[in-house]
Amino acid sequence: MADSGNAPKPSSSVKLVLLGEAAVGKSSLVLRFVNNDFQENKEPTIGAAFLTQKCNLPTRTIKFEIWDTAGQERFASLAPMYYRNAQAALVVYDLTKPTSLIKAKHWVAELQRQASPGIVIALVGNKLDLTNDGAGSGGEGEGAGADGEGDARKVTTEEAKTYAEEEGLLFFETSAKTGYNVTEVFTAIANAIPETSLKTARGTGASHAAARSEEQRVNLNGARDPNAKEGCAC
Amino acid sequence: MESLSDTFWDVVISGTGLQQSLLALALSRSNKKILHIDKNDYYGHHEAALSLQEAESWVAAVQAHAKPGYSHASVTKPEGTTGLSFPRAYSLALAPQFIHARSALLQQLVSSGAYRQVEFVAVGSFFIFKPPQDASQKPTLARIPSTREDVFATTDIPAKAKRGLMKFLKFVLDYENSPQTELWQPDANIPLTEFLSKQFKMDNQLQTYITTLSLSLDGKITTKDGLTVIHRHLTSMGMYGPGFAAIYPKWGGLSEIAQVSCRAGAVGGAVYMLGNGVKTVDDYTSPIELRLHSGDIIKTRAFVEESDSIGVIGRPETTRLVAIIGSDLKALFETTIEGAPVPAVAIVAFPAGSISTADGKASEYPVYLSVHSSDTGECPKGQCVCYLTTLTPQESGPQDHLLTQALDSFLLSVSDDQVPQCLYKLSYTRSGGSDGDGERLFTIHFSLKPVTLSFDDSALENVRKAWKIVMCDEIMRDEAVDKDYMKFTDRQNAAEDDET
Repeated sequence: MADSGNAPKPSSSVKLVLLGEAAVGKSSLVLRFVNNDFQENKEPTIGAAFLTQKCNLPTRTIKFEIWDTAGQERFASLAPMYYRNAQAALVVYDLTKPTSLIKAKHWVAELQRQASPGIVIALVGNKLDLTNDGAGSGGEGEGAGADGEGDARKVTTEEAKTYAEEEGLLFFETSAKTGYNVTEVFTAIANAIPETSLKTARGTGASHAAARSEEQRVNLNGARDPNAKEGCAC
Repeated sequence: MESLSDTFWDVVISGTGLQQSLLALALSRSNKKILHIDKNDYYGHHEAALSLQEAESWVAAVQAHAKPGYSHASVTKPEGTTGLSFPRAYSLALAPQFIHARSALLQQLVSSGAYRQVEFVAVGSFFIFKPPQDASQKPTLARIPSTREDVFATTDIPAKAKRGLMKFLKFVLDYENSPQTELWQPDANIPLTEFLSKQFKMDNQLQTYITTLSLSLDGKITTKDGLTVIHRHLTSMGMYGPGFAAIYPKWGGLSEIAQVSCRAGAVGGAVYMLGNGVKTVDDYTSPIELRLHSGDIIKTRAFVEESDSIGVIGRPETTRLVAIIGSDLKALFETTIEGAPVPAVAIVAFPAGSISTADGKASEYPVYLSVHSSDTGECPKGQCVCYLTTLTPQESGPQDHLLTQALDSFLLSVSDDQVPQCLYKLSYTRSGGSDGDGERLFTIHFSLKPVTLSFDDSALENVRKAWKIVMCDEIMRDEAVDKDYMKFTDRQNAAEDDET
């Protein structure tokens, strides 16, 4: 999934924003995707709130720039910057917690109001490992809930799927803990991003190849020795 | 979640303007308990970038006297024009300053790693507006040559004058050293134009070229200050790539830097709240006690306030006009050197006297126009955003008319068969501001800064001072802490595989 380092394919950056109620596993999903790692009892997000990961498709490489909310959702103080020019959004809910789906619907509405019109939105029900189906681990989680039998599912696949179809969202149920369906989410998003938006949404948007948009960016890492006396004027 | 009042904060930062936000960035690895609030429901305060919707509420707030420092705000949509896109397709910057490549701000963004979340575009050519010789002609724009190759290639300047200009460029590059210092130091405090005419025998046209590069809003910059700015311009040239001396943050200028800095603050654990300001402050106690508009009473060791003080008496106000143009004005954004990125910003200067006010008087101050292409992300493709700035002469009102005049003349000068249309105008007046930030024990105070065309590094020093006040215990324990200001190692995963 990650870099395979083959012959260069056209590569584009895609800004992806991550939304959802606290403790639904947003950061865990990303951590699984980026590091193939999972931390039990992860602290609320501070730290790695900006991550990148490449996704290799047959014809192109997508570099996801993943923007985690960094706890800014706490007082509804996310920056407009956060949505602006995002080409993809991952809206996460906890399928053991119905209120988190309601919150997810709020985020979808907010994105439809605030984000770029062409944004690709994926609705993701996380913590599938706490239910009896899928995920392959059969509800080993300690938080498996009071329902006995280890099935803590409170949101049916049907309900969320129907909603996602109505709103034109990609839909997945995942487990960040087992890794089930996680890369599939990101691959599906990468595939759903129209080629045209890759050319235009970032950088120049000229009718040339996507590569050109990268050229347009001024790279601050490429600075010459800051103490150099001569700029270029002579 | 624990309530705001239950926490004893190390610092409460009020306002998300650039200085406050940079402070949040500087403190983002300090493990301090930080509450960062803004009474507005958007980030950036004086440096904000607004959608058209937000711009309209902003204008309404200025009209209701709720935005100290601003007045005479209005929005107009010229009748009979079409092509304005939906409001969110625009991002109008209240602070459209570009940043010289040598600015310490960029060094700090790099050393802190924050630059990775900002996209920069290049600032391209500087032009001078030339009024027509007679009424039957169109006004024109002349590109200012600012490198030797440029001077050599230009056809606008006669050969003899070229030699003078070459000589001057060479002089400026080494102006801080002897023997150059002997030439200018005696004249350090006279107007730069006088110095240019005296020492380099420059005519009016060349003087105008040079003062334009000095970006002086009143056109009366001193020799010393002028040489400093031009030196910065020339030595910035080529630093981040061929053909440009300055860059501009995409999607709304300094607003973007403020937001990225706040985000870094949030990543570091600071708590962010918009739409909640400080109502009252009691900083004669320790800890400082604040009452917020939300009713929360907050205790904090240090407090950073934004000052809405109106500025220094006697310092001229600036009038600004922001216009959305229904054309991409492509000719302004051509690269002049091979391998240079396509610039997204062009600067046009209207020298004092080159246009007239409503009552027929020649303009007293220069007018500066920054044209931003859609590559800045501030407008849709096929359009441009123009930011016009001029000082308001004492005893005269806002210069809306003069700026409209400048805009119209500019559009005429870049027209082919059709004059590009103006689709939307936002105009306002901003107070002169004040350079002075201040502090009293643990209260730090950032003031509204004077308008400048390029980012002024002096704002950074006070951010650092504020940081020292908040970090005083740590610095007292270990002086080395001070040296690591804004120097952060990457957080895990943050930036692998970058720049490949």
